[in-house]
Amino acid sequence: MSMDAVLFWFLSIVVIGAGLSVVLMSNPIYSALSLVMTMVGVAALFATLNAYFLAGVQLIVYTGAVMVLFVMVLMLFDLKRELQAFSRGKITGFFKIAGVGVLAGLLVGVITFTTQKTSLIAEGSPLAADIAAQAASGADNTKILSENLFLKNILGFELLGVLLLVIAIGVVALSRSKGGTHARD
Amino acid sequence: MLETSMFSEIGLNHYLVLSALLFTIGMAGILLRRNLIVVLMSIELMLNAVNISFVAFSKYNMNSEGQVMVFFVMTIAAAEAAVGLAIIVSIFKRFKEVNIRFFEHLKG
Amino acid sequence: MSSMGTTTFEIVINLVKTVLIFLMMVQAVPILVWLERRGSGFIQNRFGPNRVGPLGLVQLLADAVKFLNKEDFVPDKGNRFLFYAAPVFALIPAAVAFMAIPMSTPLTVGDSTFLIQGYEVNIGIVFILGISAMAVYTMLMAGWGSSSKFSLMGAMRAAAQVISYELALGLAIVGVILVYGTFNLTEMIVAQQGPLRFSGFGFDFVAPTAFLPNWGIFFQPLGAILLFCAAFAESNRLPFDLAEGEAELVAGFHTEYGGFKMLMFFIGEYGHMMIAAGLMTTFYFGGYGIPGWTTQEVYAAGLSMFGNETAASVFNTAIHFLSFNIKFAIFLWIFIHVRWTLPRFRYDQLMDIGWKTMLPWALFNTILTATVIFLASQYIIG
Repeated sequence: MSMDAVLFWFLSIVVIGAGLSVVLMSNPIYSALSLVMTMVGVAALFATLNAYFLAGVQLIVYTGAVMVLFVMVLMLFDLKRELQAFSRGKITGFFKIAGVGVLAGLLVGVITFTTQKTSLIAEGSPLAADIAAQAASGADNTKILSENLFLKNILGFELLGVLLLVIAIGVVALSRSKGGTHARD
Repeated sequence: MLETSMFSEIGLNHYLVLSALLFTIGMAGILLRRNLIVVLMSIELMLNAVNISFVAFSKYNMNSEGQVMVFFVMTIAAAEAAVGLAIIVSIFKRFKEVNIRFFEHLKG
Repeated sequence: MSSMGTTTFEIVINLVKTVLIFLMMVQAVPILVWLERRGSGFIQNRFGPNRVGPLGLVQLLADAVKFLNKEDFVPDKGNRFLFYAAPVFALIPAAVAFMAIPMSTPLTVGDSTFLIQGYEVNIGIVFILGISAMAVYTMLMAGWGSSSKFSLMGAMRAAAQVISYELALGLAIVGVILVYGTFNLTEMIVAQQGPLRFSGFGFDFVAPTAFLPNWGIFFQPLGAILLFCAAFAESNRLPFDLAEGEAELVAGFHTEYGGFKMLMFFIGEYGHMMIAAGLMTTFYFGGYGIPGWTTQEVYAAGLSMFGNETAASVFNTAIHFLSFNIKFAIFLWIFIHVRWTLPRFRYDQLMDIGWKTMLPWALFNTILTATVIFLASQYIIG
């Protein structure tokens, strides 16, 4: 087993285990902390895929900002163990779990049975050699990413900036409102 | 099916299967949980699963578009979490509860 | 990411080195605590601890024995798991981030080269920011797990403060990244070697004497000030220690902690201070570089002195390690001196400074840096 394989299996166990505990823990604080662990695992997976910059951004944005918000809100609400953590109804619950299971089976089956190759690029093509070279060197592709982001997708990038501004204003307005038509006091 | 190379050689398929499993876990969370915040967290889980497959495709196809897309998804996810949490906080202020069954008050 | 080496010798040395750097971080804490207590005594015109051992240096050993003998206490209504997990997690981000800071030139022994840092990450600064952002969870876990109003309020304050100042910190670093054009800390240090050199707008200015080094502080003075201020807030030190405002909140998020668990929070806090001092040194003050001499010159001097490549490399590494530590210690002393000189801000003042003063200035610094770099490379005067 190469180092890559060991790392992948370890990280996938961490990610799947933490992901399961997000769903199964009845205390929402534990769910949130498990989700933080999932995020860290996903960041490490990005690093195994040579996307180092994205791994760093994942750490800063998700674990450093988004999940802190979740945890802070949960702690302010001070929800202890919930009585009705899961939805009621045995039959509907069975159908939900069965549906999810079938979906998982279908997805995994489709992936494993259709693309038996490790790459979508044909074996003998020059690109395949490039990929092998890049995978071997573990080179950083931050520069390529930035060129793509700021030269080809600059419009989307700017629009995201506008969106974030709108969201920031909207969130401040929403959290300062006194409850709208349902206001009690 | 179970040859040793499946465990020792990591390819695109491995990452895709991992992503699919994580996605279905997130979906199960959305269907089964009643706490609004946990539902939001499950959505984040699904988005992360999608990000893994984007980055995996980007690596194995030598195309950085996938990573740019991950960038966009992360931004949208952060925005979505902010708005979602703001709405949840106002629901909590009103009902003192974040259980999804209180959403029936939204009817007419 | 760098590999752990290929031969058994390299792997063993790399592992030992990683442990040594972690121990160096942990062992610096008692010295810093002693310096802090004696320093505060000096500033406030009193003695400080001076009974145990010479100059009171063994005081911390006595304190450690006392800490270890304290009762292991868990609040009644608290969450046991989070209460125990929080102090342990306080150490991890600080240690992991500190290991990514290069402390000296690579050491070459025979055919193997060892970096004097835990590991090299080619996105160095993004990695350090991301890892140290995880320190917030420690505070939140401690505050919520100990199920006390003071703790929870302290944790909320601390978390809000840390994520607010992270914005200014990140934006101040963007200027640095623009100037050097790299995320890698070692490449930044290499770029700061030699005399001050400013090229652009069609002329090339080189400082007449070697005593003006090519340090980042001359390119990013505003960024340096912003980063240093934000680092104070990030490590919860005075004048930003609202997390543990003794007058209002007893002791903030670690009100319920005592004994050794408290000590671990302490080590985490000092670890963040050390990361900030290391980053200041690396970004703005030439890292391990010595003003006036480049690393190659020092290596050549060592070679002529010892006539042996391994000895020259060891000499080179030792000299630069000393240089790094002198700069590092100066920043740590500034941290301590500020703590005992300035009063604490009010919470609204803290948020005002973070969002309304430092964030706009950091944005201005980013835009100014980007504009100047763009113009300097595009237009030629004269």
